[in-house]
Amino acid sequence: MHDPKYHITNKIYHVEILPPKQESTKLLEDLEIFKEKYLRVMDSGYCACITDNAMGLMAFQGHEIIEEMKLPVHPDQVMIHLNTFHTKADLDNILKSCMRLGIESLLIITGDGSDRLPKLQPSDLEETDVESVTSVELLRYIQKAYPDTFVLGVAFNPYEPEEHELEKMKRKLDAGASFIITQPIIERNAQIDRLLTEYPDIPVTVEAWMSKKLSLLSDAIGYEIPADMEYDPIATLKMLHQIYPMCGVYLSLVGFKTQYDLVKDVWK
Amino acid sequence: MKIVVCIKQVPASNDAKIDPETKRIIRDAVKSIMNPFDNYALEEGVRLREKLGGEVIALTMGPPSAEAVLREAIALGVDSGILLSDRAFGGSDTWATSYALAKAIERIGQVDLVICGKQAIDGDTAQVGPGIAAHLDWQQATYLMEIKPTDKNTILTKRLHENGYDICEVTLPAVVTVVKGINTPRVPTLKGRLASLKAEIPTWKPEDISAKTEQLGLNGSPTRVVKTEPPAPRTSSTIKIEGTPAQCAKELVRQLRLRSIV
Amino acid sequence: MITKTETEKANFRNVWVIGEVEDGTVLPVTLELLGTARELADKRGSEVWVILLGSRIQNPNLFAYGADVCMIIDDIRLQHFIDELEAKLLSRLIEKYLPEIILCGATSRGRALIPRVAVTSYCGLTADCTQLDIDPNNGDLLQTRPAFGGNILATIRSSNHRPQIASVRPRVMKIKQPDNDRDGITIFETILPSDEINNKKVVEVFHDSQSAINLADAEIIIAGGRGTHGKAGFELLRQLAQKVGGAVGASRAAVDSGWIPYTHQVGQTGQTVQTKIYIACGISGQIQHLVGMQSCDLIIAIDKNPDTPMMQMADIAITGDMFEILPELINEINLR
Repeated sequence: MHDPKYHITNKIYHVEILPPKQESTKLLEDLEIFKEKYLRVMDSGYCACITDNAMGLMAFQGHEIIEEMKLPVHPDQVMIHLNTFHTKADLDNILKSCMRLGIESLLIITGDGSDRLPKLQPSDLEETDVESVTSVELLRYIQKAYPDTFVLGVAFNPYEPEEHELEKMKRKLDAGASFIITQPIIERNAQIDRLLTEYPDIPVTVEAWMSKKLSLLSDAIGYEIPADMEYDPIATLKMLHQIYPMCGVYLSLVGFKTQYDLVKDVWK
Repeated sequence: MKIVVCIKQVPASNDAKIDPETKRIIRDAVKSIMNPFDNYALEEGVRLREKLGGEVIALTMGPPSAEAVLREAIALGVDSGILLSDRAFGGSDTWATSYALAKAIERIGQVDLVICGKQAIDGDTAQVGPGIAAHLDWQQATYLMEIKPTDKNTILTKRLHENGYDICEVTLPAVVTVVKGINTPRVPTLKGRLASLKAEIPTWKPEDISAKTEQLGLNGSPTRVVKTEPPAPRTSSTIKIEGTPAQCAKELVRQLRLRSIV
Repeated sequence: MITKTETEKANFRNVWVIGEVEDGTVLPVTLELLGTARELADKRGSEVWVILLGSRIQNPNLFAYGADVCMIIDDIRLQHFIDELEAKLLSRLIEKYLPEIILCGATSRGRALIPRVAVTSYCGLTADCTQLDIDPNNGDLLQTRPAFGGNILATIRSSNHRPQIASVRPRVMKIKQPDNDRDGITIFETILPSDEINNKKVVEVFHDSQSAINLADAEIIIAGGRGTHGKAGFELLRQLAQKVGGAVGASRAAVDSGWIPYTHQVGQTGQTVQTKIYIACGISGQIQHLVGMQSCDLIIAIDKNPDTPMMQMADIAITGDMFEILPELINEINLR
């Protein structure tokens, strides 16, 4: 299995690609666009990161799309998000499909639910101490049921109370996580600094917000970011590399039409 | 078993606009989705077919755009879909809606079971399911937590009540309505969606279902909406309560009494 | 039935209440509806009839609550709720006695039964009415109900069909003071052989007074957030919920910490609720939570911090420790 530090030492971006939504009225077109983005990321040598029903909005699964569109898989170039809003049967189906396709990297998160999505129950994973399944229990299950198969990462939210997040992080790492991806930041963040001090040996990747729309960022993280500031995603990206040279960078909402080519020259 | 699942396309958010003339919702003003309760009905239909064999048909009455929920049903495993759509159906209340659906079910023929979701989130009436049963003069069972087929021409149903439940033996053909929690609805797969894109969905009109036009649409509906208004706005001031815990509790109860709540 | 002319409409008189009978007991919603029926009948200058279908019915004095006529079918075959049978009986009685208005409880039974009756009798039915009135111009029943999840109040009428049927949820109308001097007459009706064709069978009945109330149906929700500090904290909320017949809700933070199952989550990625009373305990009020409960009629917040978004949005904001205030609240309620 690949070493998650590899992306940092080799300056390999994580590039988030959103899968087509279930409600899409132009599914075939959306799938083609997805394929194009995916192949571009592969050509650049970067890692394509595919979300799992982000914000609770039903979308297609990464492994489904890769299989259906016959997309190439390199173990260090694909990361799939995996959350707790699945039935046990679906969860095992996803994990087995990932194994079959050669997908190694999984970002394990509690995730966003909705009325329409099922949810793993503690009894599904033979957990008795919790009332609700979180990323910790999911990590434990994967380690137990699929040992030495996946490289597992977890999320760090620098906008939630610090002690709470660090305590959760400890449990996540104990449960088998080997890399960390943060929520999007647009400047130096004291909690991320603290995280790096606590865990100097764990590969940490900071998430960069590549869209000019800061209001969307406020929506995504649940806290108000003043939307009146002029925001330059590329300049911010350069700044993040300077502030956090020991971290990888995860690009969310990168514009494939114009921004992508600019990004390629940033991390040298 | 030949199963028909009646589904409805509803506005996604409940902030819909009302047409001042017909007092009915302007459907294209807002994004549309499958009525959430119908997912449980569809899932139950597909599970019964997986257990017993047969066929599941999704049926909906609505504008042409309602075809989208039929395709979604097919992506979830239903065998086919039928759209009842025509100006004549427009503006129907629950009487006229259940009449049209009942006639369509007769036209489909040889149906053993009709499954509906508990209610639609826009109308919130829960009247169409039993209405269909009455038009067809079939048995019904509502608010079901469980459906168990037997080896005879009956099903055993677990009916939810306010303070418990009962078990009924229902003779087919019958109409049932199901509640959230009867099952965990599956999520459509990419393969299922791609297959649903190719499905042929016929549109039926009043003449296709031998429906009497005077019993359809706005004119066939015994009820009519004569006025709509927003509910009273919430007041903007906050009443602050401080003090010892005992004082706070007393004051809260006093506030509730003022509002005739306690 | 279709009634296009005034003459045709004039054949229909009186306000009926379909009694809610369970195991022979007449349930409170019947009394609530009788109060409303009395008001409507007085405006129409007509009578109130209450219809009781059941077995071994213990008849409280319904005349005291406003009934002029009590019509009873008391039969062992009605001991359990068989919608088809009751619908057939009611349709037959409607055809025989021609009521102008019928009120029915919007309970699990009522909601199963009355749409069947409305279809068979080809008349209008409005569900979950919160207000009922008589149009002074033409005597029509004006039925007001919420739609679109409560974002609209719609007023509905049936101009050309009689009877006009409305269902009302329990605890929406208030029970009026009984007048024990009131009296009335009782009519007994019976089940005919034709009523017995094609009805389902009730095989077994289970009573479950402890049945959990789910968020969507609850009138009161007590919700906990990060301030609940753990699974144990929710125990206190459960106690209060049980005391008041409400449900327990939770913010995402509590669910994501594993303290309470996801089914209790209120908010954008959980459930949207519109209850009468929402009590938020130790919930700061992130936007995603607020969108899930901001339409509740009365929002009460309890928090140590008086300045959180939830405390600012609430109708009543109590500054304090929920672990001290909630037990006092339970005490206060016990005292009543």
